Amino acid sequence: MLEFHQITKSFSGVEVLHQISFSVKSGKIIALVGENGAGKSTLMKILCGIFPDHDGQIFYNGQEIRPRNPREAEHLGIAMIHQELNLVPDLTIGENIFLGKEPLQPLGRVDFNRLYADSDQILQEFQFPYSPKIKVRNLTVGWKQMVEIAKALQVQARILIMDEPTSALSEHEIQTMFEKMRYLKNQGKTIIFISHRLREVYDISDEIVILRDGRYVGKYLKPEISREQLINLMIGHELSSRISDEQNDTDSAEIFSVKDLTVRLTQGMELAGIDFTICRGEILGIAGLLGAGRTELLKFLFGEMKTSYKGKITFSGKSWVPHSARESIRQRMVYLSEDRQTEGIFPHHHIQFNGTLTYLENLSRFGFVQESRERAIIDTKFDELRVKRRTLRQPILTLSGGNQQKVLLSRILLVNPLLLLLDEPTRGIDVGAKEEIYQLIERLSQQGAAIIVTSSEIPELLRMAQRILVLSNGQQTALLTARQTSPPEILQYAFKRI
Amino acid sequence: MKKKIRQFLSEQEGVKPFLGFIIIFVFCIIFSPVSSKGNLVFLKFDNLANVLRQVSEIGVISVGMTLVILTGGIDLSVGSVLALTATTTAFGIMDWQLGFFLTVLLGLMAGSIAGFINGALTSWGKIQSFITTLAMMTAARGFALFISGMNSRNIGFGAQAAPESFKIFTTSFFGIPFPVFMFILITLIFVVILRKIRLGRYIYAIGSNEVAARLAGLRVNLIRTAAFAFCGLLAGLAGIIHAAQLFQGNPNDGIGFELDAIAAVVIGGTSLQGGRGTLEGTFAGVLIIGLLSNILGLHGVQKDFQLMLKGAIIVVAVLLQERNWRFKFSFLKR
Repeated sequence: MLEFHQITKSFSGVEVLHQISFSVKSGKIIALVGENGAGKSTLMKILCGIFPDHDGQIFYNGQEIRPRNPREAEHLGIAMIHQELNLVPDLTIGENIFLGKEPLQPLGRVDFNRLYADSDQILQEFQFPYSPKIKVRNLTVGWKQMVEIAKALQVQARILIMDEPTSALSEHEIQTMFEKMRYLKNQGKTIIFISHRLREVYDISDEIVILRDGRYVGKYLKPEISREQLINLMIGHELSSRISDEQNDTDSAEIFSVKDLTVRLTQGMELAGIDFTICRGEILGIAGLLGAGRTELLKFLFGEMKTSYKGKITFSGKSWVPHSARESIRQRMVYLSEDRQTEGIFPHHHIQFNGTLTYLENLSRFGFVQESRERAIIDTKFDELRVKRRTLRQPILTLSGGNQQKVLLSRILLVNPLLLLLDEPTRGIDVGAKEEIYQLIERLSQQGAAIIVTSSEIPELLRMAQRILVLSNGQQTALLTARQTSPPEILQYAFKRI
Repeated sequence: MKKKIRQFLSEQEGVKPFLGFIIIFVFCIIFSPVSSKGNLVFLKFDNLANVLRQVSEIGVISVGMTLVILTGGIDLSVGSVLALTATTTAFGIMDWQLGFFLTVLLGLMAGSIAGFINGALTSWGKIQSFITTLAMMTAARGFALFISGMNSRNIGFGAQAAPESFKIFTTSFFGIPFPVFMFILITLIFVVILRKIRLGRYIYAIGSNEVAARLAGLRVNLIRTAAFAFCGLLAGLAGIIHAAQLFQGNPNDGIGFELDAIAAVVIGGTSLQGGRGTLEGTFAGVLIIGLLSNILGLHGVQKDFQLMLKGAIIVVAVLLQERNWRFKFSFLKR
């Protein structure tokens, strides 16, 4: 019996888990589901000791546990199998299973006979078809994942946490994986797995736990709940009123259009069938699951991905070949990255530096920056966006996430853009700032800018956008009118190619 | 007031190294040997001018090195580039009869071309600057040896020799030796570039976050190449000064100068990660190194001990930079 009691966790002031309480029985397979950002991974990382500083308690068989690091969690019998595989490719399966815990001979040499005998035993029990002396490099992704599980068995884990275990596996490998999971369940192990694939959730789990926006929604036995009910619970019923309803097709000057676009990206991913137009004052939302290609699409259009493509793109009446960020900005197309920390801010510098960099060419004469003009212009912009600040020379890292985001928005708004590509503009910021950003986006569209915005929160997209383009595994599966669609419908399309 | 001082310290990065410089300066006065007349030898004008003259070549190089390190790169080739331009200068003025201006121009060109190649290979070739400049360090040295036929070339004046105008490099203005004058002038020019010119902002930006800089519309490759080219240009200038000071172009000179320059930059508080640091700090860093060598020299401390101490100073200086000085200045809180 594993019990979560009022688990609350915040990252730099933003609460990501709020008083989560539920319990699960041993010897079951529990699916943990929810939208991106619902807090599933965070909760599991707390359980296995990666985020030890949380509020609330965890009880395991009646005793409170609080692992301070993954090693302590392992001693308690809790092991996590990560999305990213943590195996050393050039070591053998056996060496990987015992990595850091090698059996030693009296003189301190690794006892390879015992190591391989023991790993063989684990693998036998597990009906693993390969010898432990094979290098991990030679295994497929699916079998590598099995080695990860074998590692967890080696530490005698009784609770196995699997974060999207099937995301990289083929259909056949998934079936093998499920077989092993059922076997482990029969051995009395508890498996908690996170998945986006509802079909798999129904295939393998005994119980389904739903999280939404960092809150516990409910726990259901599989037969109790239909797929549609599940989706509804994942995204929540209440949608805030749509602010964008009235001003549809008021001004139909077309700004940007994409006809039948296919882009081959690295890592074997492909964007396909992308087809839309966007007019002045229009807001187009892009929906899709994690890894559906939302960011890739925006970055491609902005010219940040040098890659070959098929299809026809036009921007303000002329044919558009995505070339470089610099060229796009010159044509007044701007981009806001989803990853503020690594692709947005200049962490060593103050907010004035961060705010004016893109516009600096217009603020200098003979190469000299006209600082008084610079200060005046950015100060006005910061006022307009209500950036909370002490001075213009305040280091950007001393601002909250929401205010940092507003500084970055100031940077791109200074060039007076025609088309804005906003990638998750509300990620990781508090509710108040989110609201301000919704209003800003609406204001910009009223002033005639065209805006393409992505979000992993569907209600948010429905609130902002007039039309929703749904991506599923890189393909455009729908282009919906926000007024006539619903979150379940969007999710259906988002799951279509998975 | 005290709060203001603390805020000043935290916002003006270049200040910390200058405080270090002042501390070292006071230290030097205290430990100065006393002459027979009862004067402090260290404070004699000649001695102080000497300190500056000795650091001026490394100083000029350090200015360029600061630009490169601010972009997040490193330039190991400056010592070799100095040797190369020292050699072209000696040969240009003595053997190739280029005259004063063309000789200087040739040296500056050679330096900037070397720097440009470093920058271009790093930017468009996507090779780490450690590697590209390591290659240039080797190649430029080889080229210098090739030009000179492995021998140094002396610069003579008089009958069959250098024009009188070349002596400008060895003159003094108001007692300040020409190299020192150049060092100060170059530092001032580049302080203005980093603080007031767009390029300066861009250099800080790409060192602070290269991806963000590209997404903000900066020509990252071009800017980085410019920084390397400036670094090469200044190494070239240092080479010309070097040849003029020693009346000799020696293809084997300048070994290890790159490390002295990096040391000065680091002592001056510039982060090797890029994006953070100032030229004022580098200036102070150069002077700190110069003062320490001088005071040790005045006491007759030998090279072996000097080098060991220099190693320790680099580590201590960086430790002091990393720790927040709030700890050091806790007395200001009261």
